[in-house]
Amino acid sequence: MPHLRPLLSQLTRAIGRHSAEVELKWMKGTLDNPPSGIRQSCRSLEEMVARRAAGEPLQYILGSQPFGPLELAVRPPVLIPRPETEDWTMRLAETLTPSPSRPAKILDLCTGTGCIPLLLCHLWPAGSIHATAIDISPDAIQLAKENAVLCGITAYGDASTQPLTTPQAKNTFMPILADLLHPEFITQARLEPPYDLITSNPPYIPQAEYDALPASVKDYEDIQALLGDSPSPHASGAPAEDRTKGLTFYHRIAALVGGHGLLRAGGTLALEVGAGQAPAVAAIVQAKAGVDKIDVWKDPWGKERVVVARR
Amino acid sequence: MFRPALRQLRLSRAFTTTRTALAQVQAQRQATYALKVEDAPIVQYVKRRVEERRKLQSEISDDALSDEDIQKVRKIRELEPLQDAWTEWKHAKESLEETLPLLNDPDPTMRSMAEEEYASLSDNMTQMVENTFPSLLVPPSDTAHLSAIIELRAGVGGSESALFTADLVRMYTRTAQSQGWTATMLGSNVLETGGMRDAIMEVKGEGAYDALRWESGVHRVQRVPATETNGRVHTSTVSAMVLPLLEEKGSNNEDDDLFTMDEVKVEVMRSRGAGGQHVNKTESAVRLTHIPTGITVSMQDERSQHQNKRRAFQVLRARLMDRKLNQEMIDRRDLRRSLVRSADRSEKIRTYNYAQDRVTDHRLGMSVKNLDSVMEGDGLQDFLKALQQRHHDELLEDVLSERS
Repeated sequence: MPHLRPLLSQLTRAIGRHSAEVELKWMKGTLDNPPSGIRQSCRSLEEMVARRAAGEPLQYILGSQPFGPLELAVRPPVLIPRPETEDWTMRLAETLTPSPSRPAKILDLCTGTGCIPLLLCHLWPAGSIHATAIDISPDAIQLAKENAVLCGITAYGDASTQPLTTPQAKNTFMPILADLLHPEFITQARLEPPYDLITSNPPYIPQAEYDALPASVKDYEDIQALLGDSPSPHASGAPAEDRTKGLTFYHRIAALVGGHGLLRAGGTLALEVGAGQAPAVAAIVQAKAGVDKIDVWKDPWGKERVVVARR
Repeated sequence: MFRPALRQLRLSRAFTTTRTALAQVQAQRQATYALKVEDAPIVQYVKRRVEERRKLQSEISDDALSDEDIQKVRKIRELEPLQDAWTEWKHAKESLEETLPLLNDPDPTMRSMAEEEYASLSDNMTQMVENTFPSLLVPPSDTAHLSAIIELRAGVGGSESALFTADLVRMYTRTAQSQGWTATMLGSNVLETGGMRDAIMEVKGEGAYDALRWESGVHRVQRVPATETNGRVHTSTVSAMVLPLLEEKGSNNEDDDLFTMDEVKVEVMRSRGAGGQHVNKTESAVRLTHIPTGITVSMQDERSQHQNKRRAFQVLRARLMDRKLNQEMIDRRDLRRSLVRSADRSEKIRTYNYAQDRVTDHRLGMSVKNLDSVMEGDGLQDFLKALQQRHHDELLEDVLSERS
């Protein structure tokens, strides 16, 4: 494969030898065997390498990202699912055991590609889960719908199109466009609490860290999916000292769970957090969400990554 | 110990091939051959087992069955197919004896009928000695259902050895296709200069492990490398290891009888800094360490960490299963002074000589002219079949020497 050599050197200069070798292989693999149902944005290896060398994330170039056994479509600016999220979602799927006789109603906030609820829908038995997925971005909601189709999960546009009697043997997924920080969020999102499981990977990067992010993240992925300091902090109810720590959304979620009975007694709340945020988020959840058992799960790299609480 | 039995088999085979040229003068000699087949060790062995069965039958009490009796009944039932075959053999032999005098009958019509009858009976008896008895005596393979993992590693010979590693990958892929198995590459280290430093492939299908297991060992190639300017023939090696592939478990977190999750350290490679939303670089490499044995498996070929982990567990399971099977074979051999050999992975098993257009298997002492048919066609199957036959013969020999 002599023509690969200049491409490999070009890529090596941009991302280093080791990454260049594996990524070139994956690019070639995607061109040779494009995943079915995912629109390809690149026609040639040269184009892929040029875009990668310019700093674009590999996942956007390939148009897909594996998530557990699923292959999800990804495209700018919707947040690319991370391996940390994949890991804890798999773990969550093994921790809880819903069944068609006791189906779980779940709510995923800031769903992005829909990765968390779609993976749960895929892993749990048919008819055991009905998921509602919220995002503020129309791009994300559109992509989540497409991903549901890709994964063979029955998706409903909104509650009114959902049949009165859902067929027992199916897991369902309903993506809804709504603003979590909006004062009327619960009505806007047409939520029907209580839920058995609430999951979220909300934006959690503080402004100061956001400014220092690598270009492949900052220049390509939606700031709304990353920045945890809200421009309208009043809506979250976050105290002034927490507004620059990327914690805005945790205050909001904890307040919603505690104040509006979003979580069923015995239900589970799982929140992904940024490096070093777990103690603060555990405290917020403890104070506002009305939960008692709080655990912190580490990710495969040893970082505290998820705050898991039970009511 | 192993040779005489084969000679006996060959003897009986010779006996059938000459039957067409049967002449009256030869008849008497032929007849003594036929009766001599009875002395073949395998026939003697079957006879002993049948006598043993009769003895057991006589020992069983008529009324209430004790535990010991139940054991005996089971044994009797197990030996029933052998008893049936023996009965058939006896009938054939009796008929043969009855036919013998007629071979010298003065009536030519009678003589020719006798010759036909004799030929068919002796055919039948040969068939029983060569196939029916062995298949009843050699226990069915308990790995017959397993698929295989083939690990190839370039050895001496540098880049030429890496090129040959890639050639072997193609050879096994072709063989898999022609056998109706599916071959998938699990991981490989492709070199910029061409070829592969190592490769690990999965071959899925009924009987894949049993057919491929004897490929473990050192494969040697002799040829003028593409990179060689002086036209000198180089000798390089690639080592192969064939492992039994078990059915996948639903989850990586389930313990099974080969290991418990506590014994396996799962590591992700490379730091991700803050990780999470801060980083979107793909770092999916995974390394497993099985603490009790020190076996490590690394996988990095997939973009998905989950997939890499799944495959790494698959390979770990295969390596542990391989150890287990090997240990069982060694134990069995020690226990019964068995003749069945376990694979020696450092043994040079085959030479691919390009200059002489020949592939030689050193264990079989068998050569195939037309190297291309092995590398690019389905020529490897001849070796695979012969090696399986050799294993079967060893098992049979093992059974026969068991009680004598």
